[in-house]
Amino acid sequence: MAPRSQMKRKASTAAAEAEAATFSDDEFGDGVLEGVLSDDSEDEENSDDEAEDVDGEDEEDLDSDEVPSEPDVDEKDDDENDGPRYRVEKDANGGERYVYDEIDPVYDSDDSDAQDPENTIGDIPLKFYDQYPHIGYNIDGKKIMRPASGKALDALLDTIEIPKGWTGLTDPATGKPLNLSREELELLRKVQMQEIPEEGYDPYPEYVPWFTHEEETMPISAAPEPKRRFLPSKHEQQRIMKIVRAIREGRIQPYKPPEEREQDEDEEEEMYDLWANEEAQPPHVMHIPAPKVAPPGFDLSYNPPPEYLPSKDEKKEWEETDPEERPKPYLPQGYDALRKVPAYDTFVKETFERCLDLYLAPRVRRTRLNIDPNSLLPKLPRAEELRPFPTVGAVEYNHGTRVRSLAVDPTGQWVASGGDDGAVKFWELRSGKQMASIRISADEPVNVVRWRPGSAILTAAAGQDVYFIIPPMLDQEVQQANRAALDTGFGYATNGKQATLTSNGARKDPPGTWARPGARLEDQGVLLKITVRADVKVINWHRRGDFFCTVSPTGKHSAVAIHTLSKHLTQIPFRKLPGLAQTAQFHPSRPLLFVALQRTIRVYDLQKQELVKAIQPGARWISSFDIHAASGDHLIVGSYDRRLLWHDLELSARPYKTMRFHPNAIRQVKYSRSFPLFADASDDGTIQLFHGRVHNDLMTDPTLVPLKQLKGHKVVNNLGVMDIDWHPTNPWLVSAGADGMCRLWA
Amino acid sequence: MGRIKKKGQSGAAKNYITRNQAVRKLQITVYLERNLPREPNNRKKANKSSTASTTFYYAKDIQYLLHEPLLQKFRDQKALEKKISKALGRGDVTDAARLERNAARPEKTGRPPYTLDHLVRERYPTFVDALRDLDDALSMLFLFASLPSTPAVPAKMIARCERLCLEFQHYLIVSQSLRKSFLSIKGIYYQATIQGVDILWLVPYKFNQRVVGDIDFRIMGTFVQFYMTLLKFINFKLYSSVGLVYPPKFDQNRDESAAELGAFTLEGNAAKALADASAQPMITEGESEKSTDPKTQAAVNKLIKQMKDTGVDGQQDVATTSTDAEDAAIDKFEPAAPGGDILPQPVHSSGDPGQLFANCTFFLSRETPRQPLEFILKAFGCKRVGWDAVLGDGAYTTNPEDPAITHQIVDRPIVQAAQDSGDNQTAQKLGPNQRMPGRIYVQPQWVWDSVNDEELKRPDLYAPGAQLPPHLSPFVQSTHGGYDPTIPLEDQEPEEEALQDSDEELESDEDEEEEEDEKADGDLAGAAADGMDVAGSDDDDEDEEGGEGDTTFGGFSEGEDAEADDAEAEEEDPELQYQRELIAEMTGQPVAQKPALNPKAKAKADARKKLLAQAKEEAEDIERAKGMLSKKKRKLHDQMMYTNNKKSAEDQKLREKRRKLEKQKARQAPA
Repeated sequence: MAPRSQMKRKASTAAAEAEAATFSDDEFGDGVLEGVLSDDSEDEENSDDEAEDVDGEDEEDLDSDEVPSEPDVDEKDDDENDGPRYRVEKDANGGERYVYDEIDPVYDSDDSDAQDPENTIGDIPLKFYDQYPHIGYNIDGKKIMRPASGKALDALLDTIEIPKGWTGLTDPATGKPLNLSREELELLRKVQMQEIPEEGYDPYPEYVPWFTHEEETMPISAAPEPKRRFLPSKHEQQRIMKIVRAIREGRIQPYKPPEEREQDEDEEEEMYDLWANEEAQPPHVMHIPAPKVAPPGFDLSYNPPPEYLPSKDEKKEWEETDPEERPKPYLPQGYDALRKVPAYDTFVKETFERCLDLYLAPRVRRTRLNIDPNSLLPKLPRAEELRPFPTVGAVEYNHGTRVRSLAVDPTGQWVASGGDDGAVKFWELRSGKQMASIRISADEPVNVVRWRPGSAILTAAAGQDVYFIIPPMLDQEVQQANRAALDTGFGYATNGKQATLTSNGARKDPPGTWARPGARLEDQGVLLKITVRADVKVINWHRRGDFFCTVSPTGKHSAVAIHTLSKHLTQIPFRKLPGLAQTAQFHPSRPLLFVALQRTIRVYDLQKQELVKAIQPGARWISSFDIHAASGDHLIVGSYDRRLLWHDLELSARPYKTMRFHPNAIRQVKYSRSFPLFADASDDGTIQLFHGRVHNDLMTDPTLVPLKQLKGHKVVNNLGVMDIDWHPTNPWLVSAGADGMCRLWA
Repeated sequence: MGRIKKKGQSGAAKNYITRNQAVRKLQITVYLERNLPREPNNRKKANKSSTASTTFYYAKDIQYLLHEPLLQKFRDQKALEKKISKALGRGDVTDAARLERNAARPEKTGRPPYTLDHLVRERYPTFVDALRDLDDALSMLFLFASLPSTPAVPAKMIARCERLCLEFQHYLIVSQSLRKSFLSIKGIYYQATIQGVDILWLVPYKFNQRVVGDIDFRIMGTFVQFYMTLLKFINFKLYSSVGLVYPPKFDQNRDESAAELGAFTLEGNAAKALADASAQPMITEGESEKSTDPKTQAAVNKLIKQMKDTGVDGQQDVATTSTDAEDAAIDKFEPAAPGGDILPQPVHSSGDPGQLFANCTFFLSRETPRQPLEFILKAFGCKRVGWDAVLGDGAYTTNPEDPAITHQIVDRPIVQAAQDSGDNQTAQKLGPNQRMPGRIYVQPQWVWDSVNDEELKRPDLYAPGAQLPPHLSPFVQSTHGGYDPTIPLEDQEPEEEALQDSDEELESDEDEEEEEDEKADGDLAGAAADGMDVAGSDDDDEDEEGGEGDTTFGGFSEGEDAEADDAEAEEEDPELQYQRELIAEMTGQPVAQKPALNPKAKAKADARKKLLAQAKEEAEDIERAKGMLSKKKRKLHDQMMYTNNKKSAEDQKLREKRRKLEKQKARQAPA
């Protein structure tokens, strides 16, 4: 207790100390007397004595410098307090006293800095408590007991030496004895003696003569005193008089008299018709009126139809979402009577937000298309009007393994397919019956099969070899004619010996070697074989049936080769190509060769031996293309990056239309030779059919209409439909799938 | 070659300034209240490549604002504040007091030291412009009229707001231009049509408003100041347009006794009256003639004036004026030849909605909201509205037993046990469930529904304690395909939903039927078994049907419509049956048992199949057409479809809920 009271004293000012001292001197004494009078009369003399004693001790203490070493008596009393709730005990004066259990503030109780009880009675004199055993209440509402005094103290004083700093005064706030340190006592003394309390302050310092007291005879400046120093200004006089005159005349009123102002405030401001002479002006171009608040819907009703009330789940969901993200800022509520409707919580907030919107949000005019979305769609001719086109799978040909290529023969009777097993199989188109199967290669897959235009000779490529096959199911006459056509080339000097010398004199490999394929194959109808330098992936015949070109993408400069059947001649037209050749095709009517590189399609004139045009479809990797047979001016390009592009060669090098309907790469595109149709085959297992009519009129753009998605092929190893071909005369389509099936769509 | 252009010296970077820059340039701390912000075409350029999100102002707008006389006022005010604080700092109290007296104290007067008249005129060059923008102003002023006073919202300001609102309400009552009203959970929406402009505003319920969150009342204050000025001028214009003096006389004493609307006394315009050269007495609600209602007088006055205006010399017969009125009425334009566009035409209603309650005398019980009811009743022609004395002054009668009362508005539940203790503190002389004969008791919603439908609704639906019909918003325009709660569900649900719905029903029915069937089978085990076993003959099917018919008497009877369906099914049946037989012959097996399908269910399944096929075809068509769109248009189409789908999904949800509720109801009804 002693250290705390010291701390407190340090905090308070010296003046307060002095006041406290005086207060305790007079008031305390009085209080004691009063209390005694009211309490019990027998203690009267004693208390008198006490008061005197206290006074005397005060003086003693002021002199003594000893620090109090012992805590006070009542602390001992406190120590004795042990009981259930409270006990009645005798205090030092012999009166009754209620002792309450100490509340033990545990570690994490609110009472973080457990302080000694402090009196909470406030700013009332302590004497009010004189008749009670306690002097007030601490913060917990417990009584603060009066410290021991009087007789008990006397007895104690006899036994105990006066501690250092003991003043004998009582702190009026706590009722505990007030101890003062030596410095504080010194301070008090100084105040009492009316000395300056600060240590080492000199009230009479030595005078330092900063300025001389002697008057100089000569002025610093010799300039004569200006007139304005001793004459009043006429100009000022004029100005003042002007104001005075104005005030007199009432032109200036220094301020309104207060009563007039009061009136002014209460008076209604003048009213007039603001729009008396209104004239409509065209609004500023940037003026956008504020959007109005949306009118309330059914769900805002205090008694909405029951279907608008949220279910439990909806309610929970609404409550769990962030207020910013709620689709509606309110939850529909239903009340069965108007008197039950409460105030809307966020009314002020919503109004405030509306204000913010009005003045902070930039307004932008947005055109909201309030139209039926279907009106955006172009009016396409109905699919029924564009018939005939293939719609359903009619015949299936089971090849067994993945079919890489297939072709319908020029008469439209047969279908040839080549697959991974190295076999070429012939089917009857209408019945799906397998007519023949020729295994042309043991280990290499058949990459491509193509019929020679005008005759029943099939060319099939497996590995580096191109085979000429006369199908065995044909009648003998036709077979003979075909044999003759194949054999005419033999005997030409160029056959197999067309090898040229390179610049350094070494003998170069011939670009193609024409030979018989061997007895086994010859029996089966394979009569001729050309071996080129790299794997052949594409074969395309010239329309007359004499030339054909092969493309082997890995063949570098010899990637594209042109073969002449009648002379058994192989030529390589390009010394160097500006990229990987993908596919090549002859123009249907003119002596042009189209070579598709990875990104561009280059058109070469074979007679003039020059580049005519470079078409840029814009695809990343072209897979295939086809030229419109009738016009020769239109081109469709399929690409591995899922695009199907229609080019009008007359129009531009850029595509006329880009169609992206496939989720996977497009492998093959084909125009129908007899109908305004084209189709593409994709890795997603679908074939898409389009109507593509080319008009003779140059001014009319071609009409493109998507018609149908033919679904049926299964996707195997991310490969769907590998190849497609149109029937030469009917609107039929055959397709080869990676699932080993070929299908006829009719 | 010209000079090299520096970045940020021209174009958007120079034309747009940020909010902070604008405030600094204008040297004010007052909020830029006008709708000046603009969205630059290129934010990045305007923001000088900074990515901070700011509001942009057009530099020229701010330049224009610099010449605003208000700004000078703001600056003067600021200078004065500084002077006062300086004087106080010096300890020169008298000087400070003198300066203080010169300063305007809006928190005391509720009025700013400046006027905003020119701003109103500038922003709304014509009166109609001002009316068009009145929605927000009214909502805000009505809110402020009900706010508690705080330092930010001085009491004077609240009083002014309240007065302006009441004046505006008086105009609406006199001109009968209130059209619709709606009780929402937020408050009460009102819609009035003034000079052809629809004005919709929201009035909060009379509760203490909760101020939650971060709300800056200074910002709201600037708005309210502007709106007060606006409404003041609008009121003036409106009052003068109907020949009334503005401001109307305001009785402070009556206002203090909560008379609200009754605290005002409307006066006819004396100047106009003089000009009419007919000595019309000034209409006042003097203490002597308390019996005559000021509004009635005003309305009569107005009527007389109108007659005077329309009539050539004021001596015309009533009949001629009525024919005039007929001539003035709109003719209905019917298309004579097909092919023309149809123009929307104002509806010619037979009854005047403004006179809806003209013949009624209302009494409001003390638990009803007096202010909105009084306003709405008076606005729709009711002249005599009385209420309990606790609700305030200004009632036509405070006696609940007044025999003139035709309608009483009650909003309390029916008390089961009638206690005769009664509360003496109010003038409630009637017992809790006691009714005055010859009087209609309704709940408040009756008034609103009647007003919105422009006819007096059936009071029995709205009787005290009754389950009220749903209160519907009159502001919703039903869109095609959208959900409308007023139409029965069957009329608005799309086919597929209807099918699904009936399927569910059927399933539940079938479940029940099956159970019953089983029971029946148990009863007639032998007969049924016979019917099942005999197969391979033409008559089999009929037999079976007969068997089915037999079972009916065992336990359940089908409805008549089901039988009709059966008959239909039978018509189709022979062909099917024939085919089945053919197949059976070819395969050499007995005729396959006809799948025991409920014919109704079969029809449903067929319809569903058809619908599915149709939907599929349509989807294919759309997909096809979409392929031909450009990427931009396709995206637009997708977006529109997305929003449409979202909306229709909401509608579907509502329909589903309603279906469920209706079913529940139906199930409960017989039980």
